[in-house]
Amino acid sequence: MPLSNSKVADDGSSAQPQREGQAMVDSLTKVVACYRHLASCIGGSTDSTSLRQELRQTREHAQTLAVSCRNHLTARLRDKTLSEEDRKETELQWVAFSSCLELFHADMCKVYHMGSCFSVAKKSAMVQTGLQGGATEVAARALSMPNLQEQNGEQTASMEGLDQSQLEQEIAQVDRTLEDMEMKVNVLRWTVEAKGPQYADPVSVDSASLALLSGDEEGGFCDRSQMFVLLMLCGVALVAVVLSVCVVYLA
Amino acid sequence: MTIKLIRDHGQHYRPRMACLQKLEAMVLEMQSGVKSSEQKLNITSIPHVITGEDILAWIANHMKVDTQEARTMGTMLVAYGFIYPLQDHKRLILKPDGSLYRFQTPYFWPAQKWKVDDTDYAIYLAKRNIRKKGSLDVYEQENYNKLHKWLNYKWDFIVMQAKEQYRAGKERNKADRVVFDCQERAFWIVHRPPPRTHSAMDYGVDRLIDPNVEEKKTFDYYKRIVSLISLNISLFILVKFMTTYKGHDPFLAPCLPSNPWQTDDDTYWELNMRSVETPTKMRVERWSFSFFELLSDPRGRADFKVFLKKEFSGENLAFWEAAEEMKWGAASSINEQAQTIFKTFLAPGAPRWINIDGRTMGLTVKGLEHPHRYVLDAAQTHIFMLMKKDTFYRYLKSPVYKDMQKKSLSPAPHTFTDSQLEQNARNRKPGIDPIIIWQQEEEERAKAAAAAGPIDIKKLMASKLDRK
Repeated sequence: MPLSNSKVADDGSSAQPQREGQAMVDSLTKVVACYRHLASCIGGSTDSTSLRQELRQTREHAQTLAVSCRNHLTARLRDKTLSEEDRKETELQWVAFSSCLELFHADMCKVYHMGSCFSVAKKSAMVQTGLQGGATEVAARALSMPNLQEQNGEQTASMEGLDQSQLEQEIAQVDRTLEDMEMKVNVLRWTVEAKGPQYADPVSVDSASLALLSGDEEGGFCDRSQMFVLLMLCGVALVAVVLSVCVVYLA
Repeated sequence: MTIKLIRDHGQHYRPRMACLQKLEAMVLEMQSGVKSSEQKLNITSIPHVITGEDILAWIANHMKVDTQEARTMGTMLVAYGFIYPLQDHKRLILKPDGSLYRFQTPYFWPAQKWKVDDTDYAIYLAKRNIRKKGSLDVYEQENYNKLHKWLNYKWDFIVMQAKEQYRAGKERNKADRVVFDCQERAFWIVHRPPPRTHSAMDYGVDRLIDPNVEEKKTFDYYKRIVSLISLNISLFILVKFMTTYKGHDPFLAPCLPSNPWQTDDDTYWELNMRSVETPTKMRVERWSFSFFELLSDPRGRADFKVFLKKEFSGENLAFWEAAEEMKWGAASSINEQAQTIFKTFLAPGAPRWINIDGRTMGLTVKGLEHPHRYVLDAAQTHIFMLMKKDTFYRYLKSPVYKDMQKKSLSPAPHTFTDSQLEQNARNRKPGIDPIIIWQQEEEERAKAAAAAGPIDIKKLMASKLDRK
């Protein structure tokens, strides 16, 4: 899988590694967001071996990204020749990276816990949450691949156990990473200031899902009343037109 | 920051929430039991929707309880967030009609181990804002502003993560997107409830040690659990306490004559005032339980004072009261109070000399050179024990106490009809102003101080002889 490479550039311009760092943090954020979406499906009606596999792949991808990101950022922050502005930017990236890793750690813990409670073999014990489609597209987005190949073969119980133990190890690894990060690099959080705005601009007004959600809230009554009002107005307008036509013809 | 990185000695663990595991087991059993239908929304339809009455029927059937109990159980399920309502989503109760509910996904179930993070809440609110600007409620807006101030250092991350989660959500199909939004919204209503609502996740204070971790079996641990003797004694004391105070417990015994808060009739308060002439039987009985009870009830203390006056041994109680006043009084008066107490009670040849052993007397006198609030503690304790072991039992056998027992009232319980209750409610009037009570007490105190001057035996005997 092509990744954004973690070349610690030793070039003259400082913009290149800065952008690289930012790109890495961005991609890690994306993967962690997708992992969260996938994790919310566990134990629900769409839980299946493919979901677990997607989770595993996303997790592994996140791990590799995290390792490369950490190396890059640590090297940069340890560099004494960094200018003030660059240092501030790198510290921002560092804070974003560590927060990302913390979210990822929390999600992994939850997935581990739920994985041990809900085994894929016992499909009847799953909670009927109302989800229908799979989360394959989300996983594809996480792994930056246009489409995900269906891994063949059913996951047996032993494979599931293996997956769980691997997950446990990875959780411990992320734990250690977080501790190392705090020890090795001294970033004073209270000096870091956010640059972005308080309110994120709407990416695009998702009117379709919005309408569904508001319809969901009122149980469809609001829609019906709106339709009724619309029909009334149309009727009134029609009557007005007919009257005016009559007036014109009679006059 | 993760918990491991916070190296203070504060409390970071949530207490045991055993109910959550039991509710989880119940929810898993409900999967096959409750009938589910589909919810029609515009064009799509979302499955796995259950009605309130079905849930109620299943709970009543499964747990073999009546409807009221089942309704409470169901409301608990909703309040903890295992089931969420689709209509009227802010009120987490179970409505026993056709209202629609859905099961929450296990990712969003409440857990004792993981405290719900503010960062996640901030991301959720930012996501809501991205989807539709200005869709946050007032309390959510306030929370958002506060979080922006507190989590400022990771605000860029929060906004970025919110955008990414939003975009990832768009990859799913429409129905799933709606379901996920409903789930998340329900989760946050449980864990960050709107103001003026009850929250089921109110668990009190955080704990210092992790309640789930088994305690290490060190020597101290064994020493603690193997103190059987003290366990026996403490159990015995507990049983004795419970049998003595059983009739006086406000929860177990009814309030005679009637509870003023319920019937608006304040006879109970009138009968139990500080300086009432005839106290109630219950009150008098209570004095006999322990010396401390007698002294802490002002009416009892007054009675005891009368008894002591007859016995000419009022100086013990007077000293005790003076020491109490110094202990609880203003710091500015400590010096002069110490002087008066020394002159009245402790100096050799004092008018009301108290009889305490030489060692305590020596310590107290020495301490009085530089008096502080608790300088009379040792002497006061000694006097207290003296009174308790000797005078108190004589008091209980004395005619003063027996008279009081005979005189005391035992009010009959009121039986008010509804119309009488309404009458009482209309006739409510305010009680005695506390200022007036305080003035009365001051007058009494002044009178007592004047009367408790040094009783000159010679003058008393002289007056008696004169009469003869």
